[in-house]
Amino acid sequence: MTVDVPRRRALNVPRSPLWLAASLVVLFSLASVALQPTFLSPRVLQSNLSTFLPLMIIAVGQTYVILGGAIDLSLGALVSLVNVVLVTSLQALGADPSFAAIAACMGMALLVGAAGGAVNGVLVGVLRLQPIVSTFAAGIVFGGIALWIMPQAGGSMPPVYAKTYAAKLFGVKGATFMLLSLVAIIYLISRTRFYIYLLAVGSNRPAAFQSGLPVMRIRVLSYIVAGLFASVTAMVILASTSAGDPLMGQAFTLGSVSAVVLGGTALSGGAGSAIGSMLGAVLLGLINNVLFFAQLPFVYQTIVQGTIILAALAGGIMVSRR
Amino acid sequence: MAPSPSTAADAPVLEARGLAKSYGQVVALECGDLTVAGGEIHALLGSNGSGKSTLCKILAGAVKADAGELLQRGRRITLQSPSDARDAGIGTVYQETSLIPALTVAQNIQLGIEARSRLRLVDSGRSRREAVRRIEDFGSTLGIRFGPDDIVGDLAIDQQQLVEIIRVVSRRPSLVIFDEATASLDRVQVDGAFALLRRLREEGKSAILVTHRMDEIFSIADRVTVMRNGRSVGTREVRDVDPAALIDLMTGAPADAPPVSRRAQGSEQPILTVRDLSSDAFRDVSFALRRGEVLGLGGLQGQGQSELLRTIFGALKPKSGEIEMAGIPGAPATPAAAVRRGLAFASGDRKRYGTFAIRSIFENLAIARLAQSRSPLVSRARLEPRLMQSISGAKLKFGRLDDSISTLSGGNQQKVVIGRWLDTDPKVLLLDDPTKGIDIRAKRDLYEMFSVLQEKGLAIVIYSSDATELLEIADRILVINGGHVVDELKDDRKTEFELNAAALKGA
Ligand SMILES: Nc1ncnc2c1ncn2[C@@H]1O[C@H](COP(=O)(O)OP(=O)(O)OP(=O)(O)O)[C@@H](O)[C@H]1O
Ligand SMILES: [Mg+2]
Repeated sequence: MTVDVPRRRALNVPRSPLWLAASLVVLFSLASVALQPTFLSPRVLQSNLSTFLPLMIIAVGQTYVILGGAIDLSLGALVSLVNVVLVTSLQALGADPSFAAIAACMGMALLVGAAGGAVNGVLVGVLRLQPIVSTFAAGIVFGGIALWIMPQAGGSMPPVYAKTYAAKLFGVKGATFMLLSLVAIIYLISRTRFYIYLLAVGSNRPAAFQSGLPVMRIRVLSYIVAGLFASVTAMVILASTSAGDPLMGQAFTLGSVSAVVLGGTALSGGAGSAIGSMLGAVLLGLINNVLFFAQLPFVYQTIVQGTIILAALAGGIMVSRR
Repeated sequence: MAPSPSTAADAPVLEARGLAKSYGQVVALECGDLTVAGGEIHALLGSNGSGKSTLCKILAGAVKADAGELLQRGRRITLQSPSDARDAGIGTVYQETSLIPALTVAQNIQLGIEARSRLRLVDSGRSRREAVRRIEDFGSTLGIRFGPDDIVGDLAIDQQQLVEIIRVVSRRPSLVIFDEATASLDRVQVDGAFALLRRLREEGKSAILVTHRMDEIFSIADRVTVMRNGRSVGTREVRDVDPAALIDLMTGAPADAPPVSRRAQGSEQPILTVRDLSSDAFRDVSFALRRGEVLGLGGLQGQGQSELLRTIFGALKPKSGEIEMAGIPGAPATPAAAVRRGLAFASGDRKRYGTFAIRSIFENLAIARLAQSRSPLVSRARLEPRLMQSISGAKLKFGRLDDSISTLSGGNQQKVVIGRWLDTDPKVLLLDDPTKGIDIRAKRDLYEMFSVLQEKGLAIVIYSSDATELLEIADRILVINGGHVVDELKDDRKTEFELNAAALKGA
């Protein structure tokens, strides 16, 4: 006995807002090439990648929280916190630390990020506080701790940290290596049960609970994952700035949310993709790039930038509504 | 005190003793007793709000009881969560489906039991194949119209219900609970679902079946437990009782006299005329609806009836054809326009088209009236008595009007969805499987309310998956099959036999 089980709409391609983000990235790349002839040279590409990478990483972290139907408004502050913790501990190692010592500091940075995420996870997942307000408040605390650890921007670092990042390993630089790892990690996460359950929780929480999914654990874990991405973001930034700044993360909070939304992930949860968020982050970077090279008077830049982002968002909505 | 093996084998599969559950002041379940034997299909019957779903949710681990105990094969068990119940072999199909709209059919079917590779990553290919096998094995008799890769949120409500049935039954629980799982299914689909239950019964497994459809109880159940006001008031062998006795037990009072036969005040002037209306879902539908008339739409589930109703209501755009209402030509462009022209629409898919889940009962009731009103201000003091008056016939069971509508039992939510229109003085009421989940008594009351309104000239177009209901209240029935009107039944051809014959013709 057979049943006609047609394989329909496996990919849902034409309606996917991911394609909009991708086409806009292409469009703005073309605009960049027109305005900046060297745009495609390896050097410029590499430097743009280094500039865009932090937002790409943090946006991926934010994606997992938003897919679960929540939001994390503390991510920027968490990046700052990890940043100052990392700088302070690396500084303490002196001028020529061992590799193991640096690795230990980075491990500690990851722990700080995971702990920050766990705090949010407990607030939202266990105590069931409203994500917007509770993560916003937690972010204020994280920022406060960062300021307490390092009241002023600065600090000097063992040069080997940044050097390693800038060096070539198997012919690729640190930033490229990070990009590839990022894609690999996104792929791995998308193949876990956690990911499917996260979509389930974001799409319909009561149904996920009734289906026997560990809703609380999933929500907590999504914040911890985001916290880990915040740590990595801080490490990458530090590799190119080589100094600590307790306020440096601020722009990442809403920046990451914008990238996620531009990348086609629904703020209501349950639908979207981390790859889309990466594209969204690239798009935000490219918009800045184009505006810079278009030599717009500075006073208009912000207005134009905001308008373009709005238009891209509206386009995404139109496409998915069809 | 471990039970000896022999008693464990004879012991009931599941026994609930004195289960109780309150939500604040509201006592949802006062004393739930239920004993389900192995290889038994056990029906659970009771008025809306009598505690059936609450009892089921406790058995499903979704709600923790305040008191009482549960025994599985004579052994005490505690269920802390739905996954505990799943591990204990209890599978539940809920009244409001617990599917994940954003995931595909296959992902939903495998949710929580995904196949994994050696690296503990989800093996999506194998998971999907597994789901397809389950769909083939259990869906072949159900009349499914979906593929494994369809997004569940895009499916019609009956198809979603079937996905959920396949998901639960294919996991081979030793006890499956159907909490009104058949309410949105048509005859053929119900027969298919019952075939699955019989198959489970032959394997020695058990089922709890919550339903308001008497015929279902008599066609499949072995025993029936009746609930009233949060208490189990009696368990009977189905072959020893008749429907009237069950209704007595349900209400604690002798059954009413059959409802007064309504007389449609049919005037000749049609209030709503539909000519050659076509869309993707239906073709060339024509009818003229007179004041006071009840027009039934029959046929199997999903033959275009819902789309037809929603097109007339302005929620969908027709491809071609004409709609004329009260002499004014032209289809309403939006539901808002339709409401202003005196149309009203209530759907049994209340989650999608009916309730504003986090808002209060009062607001859910008032919304239709407010949509019609032109005044910018709302006077609750004036509105409340009117609304309460207009739904007084429905015997709504609720705690406080300001509680969220999700605190109501399924049937009571549905009463709100219909009841909100009663005060808007509609000329034509469009009903899409409206009485789903409403108990027999309350249904009667609703029909009464309809007939009062009909005397004032209200006309009704109703689709119902429940043939008995359709035959009872419709003056004539258009049977729709594959989007075409294949027959019109009235007078002495308005019978269950003709209805089934037309519905299945060429299908
Ligand atoms: N979450 C809740 N909060 C408050 N009251 C509730 C809640 N859930 C159920 N109730 C109340 O408990 C009572 C029993 O509800 P339940 O859903 O068990 O009824 P039911 O027998 O399944 O009815 P129906 O036939 O309409 O589905 C109802 O009066 C309902 O209003
Ligand atoms: Mg119920």
